[in-house]
Amino acid sequence: MKRRFLSVRFFLSLGLLFSVLFSAWSIYYKTQDWGFNLRPNQKIPVWTIESHLTFQPTGKPVEVSFARPDGTGNYKILDETVIAKGYEIKKEKNKFVIKGKDKKKQQNIYYRILVYDTMKSKGKTKAVNKPEKPALPSFSDDDVILAKEVLLKAKEEKGDIVQNLIRLLNDSEPNEAVLAFSPERKSTLETAQIIVDLLALEGIPARLIRGIVLAEGKKTSKTDVLLEAYQAESKRWLTYHVRTGEYGIPESFIVLRRGDDSLVDVVGGVDSQTKYSVLKSLNSSFGMAKYRAQSAEQKQLFAYSIYSLPIAEQNALKWLMIFPLAILIVVLLRNVVGLKTMGTFTPMLISMALIETGFWPGLTAFVIVTGIGLIIRAVLSRLNLLLVPRISAVVIFVIFIIQMCTIIGYRFDFKVASAVLFFPIIILAWIIERASIIWEEEGLKSALNEVFSSVLVAVITYFVIVNPTVQHIMFAFNELNLVILFIVMLLGTYTGYRLTELKRFAPLVRHKDKK
Amino acid sequence: MSFLGFVSPEKLREAGVLSMNRRNYEVIARHNRRRLYPLVDDKVKTKQLANDIGLTTPHLIASVSAQYEVKNFLNLVKNYKSFVIKPAHGSGGKGVLVIQSYTQNHFRLPSGRVLRYREVYQHISNILSGLYSLGGRYDTALFEEMVHFSDVFKNYSYQGIPDVRLIIYEGYPVLAMMRLATKESAGRANLHQGAVGVGIDIKTGRAISAVQHNKPVRFHPDTKADLMQLSVPFWKEHLLIAAQGYEMTGLGYLGADIVLDKNKGPMVLELNARPGLAIQIANQCGLRSVLKRVEKDFPRGLSFKERVEYVLSTY
Repeated sequence: MKRRFLSVRFFLSLGLLFSVLFSAWSIYYKTQDWGFNLRPNQKIPVWTIESHLTFQPTGKPVEVSFARPDGTGNYKILDETVIAKGYEIKKEKNKFVIKGKDKKKQQNIYYRILVYDTMKSKGKTKAVNKPEKPALPSFSDDDVILAKEVLLKAKEEKGDIVQNLIRLLNDSEPNEAVLAFSPERKSTLETAQIIVDLLALEGIPARLIRGIVLAEGKKTSKTDVLLEAYQAESKRWLTYHVRTGEYGIPESFIVLRRGDDSLVDVVGGVDSQTKYSVLKSLNSSFGMAKYRAQSAEQKQLFAYSIYSLPIAEQNALKWLMIFPLAILIVVLLRNVVGLKTMGTFTPMLISMALIETGFWPGLTAFVIVTGIGLIIRAVLSRLNLLLVPRISAVVIFVIFIIQMCTIIGYRFDFKVASAVLFFPIIILAWIIERASIIWEEEGLKSALNEVFSSVLVAVITYFVIVNPTVQHIMFAFNELNLVILFIVMLLGTYTGYRLTELKRFAPLVRHKDKK
Repeated sequence: MSFLGFVSPEKLREAGVLSMNRRNYEVIARHNRRRLYPLVDDKVKTKQLANDIGLTTPHLIASVSAQYEVKNFLNLVKNYKSFVIKPAHGSGGKGVLVIQSYTQNHFRLPSGRVLRYREVYQHISNILSGLYSLGGRYDTALFEEMVHFSDVFKNYSYQGIPDVRLIIYEGYPVLAMMRLATKESAGRANLHQGAVGVGIDIKTGRAISAVQHNKPVRFHPDTKADLMQLSVPFWKEHLLIAAQGYEMTGLGYLGADIVLDKNKGPMVLELNARPGLAIQIANQCGLRSVLKRVEKDFPRGLSFKERVEYVLSTY
């Protein structure tokens, strides 16, 4: 017999263990792939990068191409759109091709990319093919000598030659060799280009990375640049910051293009100019989850999760997802602490109502309604009605009280009164009925005691589930409810003492001690 | 030692105290099959079972189960000077109304309170609509002859009827207590309402300890009687009746409430499939260690007489 009970516990513990493991895995992929956060109301920045191309058509057929980001970068693409009125737009693997017949006026073409989840990346890209030996730069003979001087300097120092070059060229007090080679301070693009040339002399393949550094409200006509140099030993491209020499792609840098290809090509137009602007908007992490799941190839998994539902259904479920936790608290307070309550889940329903009403207004409203209800119930009891009609009458009276309170609340702008609207009427009526029976049978003290401990359980439950973080976690990681299920079932096998029993049976111990 | 009146769980375990959770999970769930509950939850059935094996119970005058019969209730009891109204499915003495004497419109309770006809009528209606029944189901109101409790207990109870509660485990009576009503408990025998619980020695029927509100007492708070002088007459008969409860119901963990009528001797008042744990406090003795002993050492397959003999000789 004993073994059977042990095995129930064993299986439930096993279930608990599995549910914990499952939840851990599920929470992991939800945070990693879907971008869920443990904190509520997390907003995710979505950046809009707009390339605005203007050009003057020459009268010939126009063909424009925009380089598309290759999607292997340190960000995810939410959406891409090209706005080009009267053009035929074709999306290719690495570019948008926009064709149009002869135009006359100045043309405006917009290309918008929405990106999110930008992150810092190590900036090591595996080279698909071994790059060819770079062509020698078009330096004059004098320049070659000066350049070799600089390279010598860079090689003298310890460490990465590329980083050394970057440091030498960016030094605020450049040394003689550098000064002789490049007398004036250069822009980032120029500096990067010089380094590419210098490295070519050494036979090291290097290239530029062009992209946009994200900053709110940014407007520019120049792209930003990083430098990438090939590392023969690891067969990888290493990315460097052109000013600091730091490895990797910064979080805010959106890579648009690697190498020399241009970002925008215009055929059949002159005076082309591209302006870039950056806009930041904030989206909720739930709203973004869909796109993230898509990019993590968990489309099916996501489609059957509650986050794929319409917002109205989600909100209803959000409410339900907190119930198991409230139930757990009631179970703990009843079976482990040993508080007595009127009805098993009445306190839970009161606490749910308190969340709607706010704590003090709700509690006050509850006391007022049950108080008035008890008085009316006392009058009803003199009428000698049968039980079901009597409780029904109490329900109707509760509705009257609620109606009155709501009207008074509205007239006098008194929040407490309108809070009653959220209490479950039937629950209130039963509380009134039970309290009044206990009052008649065992006295006012017992009745108040039982109401008080029910409200106490409700208040404790309220303070746990009112926490937005708790609400968020129970919704975002709803698999935790499986863990709660097994905890509740395991509590069903708890045979230890309740907290209140430690006091109730204390005389037995004292008695033994005296002996 | 103890903090704010709380003691450590270890201490309680040492004292062999049975917890509510363990009672529900290990004792009741293992020893009391659900389908047997109706035998004890329905007082009419219990009465029949008891009478079938020759046990006495308070005489059932009549029962009323339909609302239209309620107005006729005075007719039913017209041959009796006093009577008791109780719900067939009640528990813990809820809904029990003792009418000591009455006229057409006035019903006198033991407390001296007088109820009007419509109040009694209302009470019966309440019973029928399930106010006092387990689970709130429609119920039957029973009219029983009043027990004339033995003069032996006259000084030990403030109003109310003193009864003996016995715990029967696997057919062996193991713990006993007497519940004495007080002024504070308003004539009721509920310990949590302030009635006195007197632990009774299972072998001799004599008082061994007494508590009120969890605290040891020596004298009855209202009658001032010395509780340690309390001794239950016909003790062996009490034990025999209790032990037969096992054969009657098949319930392994059973509570039996027995009253001593001065003319008819001990009789079964009611049986309970979920007897409470307060008896441990009254006896200053943990129930768990007792149950363990029964499980381990006591022989199986004895008749109720043999079991009582076993308890009397070895316990």
